[in-house]
Amino acid sequence: MAGLEVTSLTKQFGETRVLKGVTLGIADGEFVSLVGPSGCGKSTLLRIIAGLETANSGTVTIGKAEVTDTRAADRNLSMVFQSYALYPHLTVAENIAVPLRMREMTSLQRLPVIGGVMPGARHQKHSIAQSVARAADMLEIGPLLGRKPGQLSGGQRQRVALGRALVRDPAAFLLDEPLSNLDAKLRVQTRTEIAELHRKLGATFVYVTHDQVEAMTMSDRIAVMMDGEILQCATPEIIYEDPDDIRVAEFIGSPKINILPIEQSGAELYLFGRPLKWREIGESTRAMQMGLRPEALRLMQSAPHFKGRVAHIENLGAEIFAQIALNDEGLRVTLRASPAERPMIELGAEVGLGFDAAAALIFDADGKRMRKIEIIAGLTPEVA
Amino acid sequence: MTREWWKHLVLILGALIVLAPFYMMVSYSFKSPGEIDRGEGGFFGRQEVMIDPRCVALRQPDRADIEAARSRFPGQDDAGVQAALLAETEAACSMRPVAFNYTKAFTEAPLMRYLLNGVIVTVSIFLIQIVVALPAAYALAKLKFWGREAVFGLVLFCLLIPVHAIALPLYILLAKLGLTNTYAALVVPWTISVFGIFLMRQFFMTVPDDLIDAARMDGMSEFAIVWRVMLPTAIPALLAFAIFSIVAHWNDYFWPRIVVTGNRDLFTPPLGLREFKGDGDGSFFGPMMATATVIVTPLIVAFLIAQRRFIEGITLSGMK
Amino acid sequence: MAVLDMGVAAHPKPNNHEARTAWGLAAPALALMFLILLVPVIVAGVLSFTNYSLGNSGFDWVGTQNYERLFTRSTYEKMFIATFTYVVTVVPISVGLGLGAALLVHSLGRIGDIYKTIYFLPVMATLLAMAIAWEFMLHPTIGMVNRTLAMACGSWFEVIPFFANGCNDGFPLWLGDRDYAIWVVCFIGVWQGFGFNMVLFLSGLTSVHRELYHAAEMDGARSGWDRFWLVTWPALGPTTVFVVTISCIRAFQVFDTIEAFWPQGGGPNKSAYVMMFAIFEKGVQQNLIGIGSAITVLFLIFVMFLTLIQRRLVERKVHYG
Repeated sequence: MAGLEVTSLTKQFGETRVLKGVTLGIADGEFVSLVGPSGCGKSTLLRIIAGLETANSGTVTIGKAEVTDTRAADRNLSMVFQSYALYPHLTVAENIAVPLRMREMTSLQRLPVIGGVMPGARHQKHSIAQSVARAADMLEIGPLLGRKPGQLSGGQRQRVALGRALVRDPAAFLLDEPLSNLDAKLRVQTRTEIAELHRKLGATFVYVTHDQVEAMTMSDRIAVMMDGEILQCATPEIIYEDPDDIRVAEFIGSPKINILPIEQSGAELYLFGRPLKWREIGESTRAMQMGLRPEALRLMQSAPHFKGRVAHIENLGAEIFAQIALNDEGLRVTLRASPAERPMIELGAEVGLGFDAAAALIFDADGKRMRKIEIIAGLTPEVA
Repeated sequence: MTREWWKHLVLILGALIVLAPFYMMVSYSFKSPGEIDRGEGGFFGRQEVMIDPRCVALRQPDRADIEAARSRFPGQDDAGVQAALLAETEAACSMRPVAFNYTKAFTEAPLMRYLLNGVIVTVSIFLIQIVVALPAAYALAKLKFWGREAVFGLVLFCLLIPVHAIALPLYILLAKLGLTNTYAALVVPWTISVFGIFLMRQFFMTVPDDLIDAARMDGMSEFAIVWRVMLPTAIPALLAFAIFSIVAHWNDYFWPRIVVTGNRDLFTPPLGLREFKGDGDGSFFGPMMATATVIVTPLIVAFLIAQRRFIEGITLSGMK
Repeated sequence: MAVLDMGVAAHPKPNNHEARTAWGLAAPALALMFLILLVPVIVAGVLSFTNYSLGNSGFDWVGTQNYERLFTRSTYEKMFIATFTYVVTVVPISVGLGLGAALLVHSLGRIGDIYKTIYFLPVMATLLAMAIAWEFMLHPTIGMVNRTLAMACGSWFEVIPFFANGCNDGFPLWLGDRDYAIWVVCFIGVWQGFGFNMVLFLSGLTSVHRELYHAAEMDGARSGWDRFWLVTWPALGPTTVFVVTISCIRAFQVFDTIEAFWPQGGGPNKSAYVMMFAIFEKGVQQNLIGIGSAITVLFLIFVMFLTLIQRRLVERKVHYG
């Protein structure tokens, strides 16, 4: 087990710059997710760490050794591929054994028939079989050892891929969207299993996904990537509650965060033309945006901050998400309500909303978080 | 890149061996007999004007010619006139080797006719193959009828029988019918392409049933469906099959050799070349190589232009 | 009652109509399959037990006499030897070269396409024409091959016995030499056929999942050899079976080169007297239909046997889910 570090990695494919200077440090035993939309460069980053691609500049370090120029087979890493990449002609047991056979047996010992009589081959085969059995037990695929991948279901194949990865003791595990080919229910179940596997092994996991729920639920830290850069790398709580960038705020959290425009005129901040009470610690800028998560909004019957009409309702049983079309500026916001409030949010009903000032996140026009601006209280109530 | 130099070395050596006979064939089609004998002249030969001995022999002046020519060479005796006439003949029979080779190729034997035969035979075979195979493939792929499995089983069985293998009994049957030395003999045994049926069936099975049902609702008969609905969707596969068929039959030597014995007019290009070889003496290497070049060129040129289609066609047999 | 009658009368018969149309569409193909493929097989089988000749009004049944001749007379012994020598030489070499060339070309990417084109040319070119070109190249005195070999005379090459003998006594007659003739024919067979195999292997190679190579790398497969055994060779299984079968069947059918080089006789001392040529000579030229049919029957058995093996092997090996 070891920590990983990448420093100032850049990667270009022809004209496209896929990675624009990525630096990331992963501690030993940490579970870090690389999360972002398609095309943000997360898979490329993972493959550069693995050694399957080379960066145009920058370094990769595993433990204390710099491995930027080392080939993948020598980096002592294990990878689980999105398509699983199991060898179709080998049984499950043989598939799982491949990393051990390649690394611990000489090529003479690996020869088809003669290899068996080479000195030491018997012992090797026995110890490899034991390791395979251990890995299979951990993943509960013992009964499948004699089958070929073509005879397995998607979920079973995924476990075999995991088994092949963990049969050795690599410096780190790299997982490239391993759950994306599974159906929703299986995905939720396997998520838990992978998280528990991480706890049991105590190994370093680098996990690539486009699903922010997976990232939030499994990781020690999340690295949010967009357009070839890491926007923020922090624990899930901080990513959610204290994002550095509006893009991070928008990507993480479901339903998406509500963004409302703020203007500044002189020393006053205005939301929908009405003044906010605010306090600033430091400089100020012109246009700003305020982010409010759905749970930061609430129904306010008396003296609401703004009014709107219910445009769409999503009832998930334990909570309700309602989209309200605000009377001001035609914006829509998403509100989280509890089932008890259902009667008040019929489709088309007029509602009054307020927001929790402490939960407001302010961003400047470029999307950078402005932590120096603090909203003290909500809007003055609309004149009825 | 530099690590791969050894790959290029090996491949280039291979390429040299592969191309050697082509090089030689084309090169000798440019050269004079003397150059061929002595193995000189580079690729194109020196193209020195040569004299065609046969042409001269054919035009040997006899007494009448000498008499008639006397007026053109005043003051010369018989020997002189003869020498002058000989000089004229030689001049008339002079040409560059490349012209010599290629004109001989087309005049010693009716090469144009042979090429035409080649075209007639390959095109006829292909067209009839399509007419026979497409409906059958459609029936096997899309229509339900008792006995369908049996028919398909028959197709699979017939795939085991290469036509060349049964050349002898076919020849006997044709001889009995008096059909040897006819275009029919050249074409008919190939009209049934079981491989074509198999291929088209596999392809047709991927066509959505809805397309066919829509056509039926429009009132099309099944026969019309084959040609108006299935054929257009199968153009790529048909193209590949066309290439496969045409190449195989243009180059076929064995079957025409058996079935065309007397009638030169029916010779396909390989037979024509063989005839050339048969009665050529040593000095006819040049024209023979010219004939070979002419026969080989059409397909090679077509291949170079449409490589991907060709390779697709030839490897189709691999996609069973 | 009237209602019932109408019901019965109005009942459509789609299946019958469909079936009749289907038979109609398939009829020409079926007829031709019978006439052109199946009937001749039976005819060959029947005639192999006779002493029929074209032009005779009748024939005698001679039982297994033709087959006995095939397995006892020395001519036919040479036929079997020549045919099997050719097949056993040409198939492994052309399959091996095809695979090797495919691997090399595949690893070169787009540049490799040039080699692909070059190596495929012999497949497209009329074999007869190219055979004649080769024949001329192999001419003992004025042919390119011997001339090139002679250039090595007077150099260190003469250390090799082949060159030493050649420089002194003259290089082999190739096609006129009993010891070399069949090998020359084999060489031309390989020359003509390996490009075809290469292309088949190439298409097999492109269908191998690239991620498998990455997985192999992560698993520690460092050398090209490791990658070949772990990923490439297993993936080429069905392709290889197919290539070998096709090569075998084509090899059995060799004729053009033999007849072009030795119109009478099938090679010096019948060393290149292959089965197709024997069928041609005995059946067509010498009008000995009986024995020609017997050879045909044997030939068919070989070819069918090979194809059936191929089918069984491919069916069993389908393990890609």
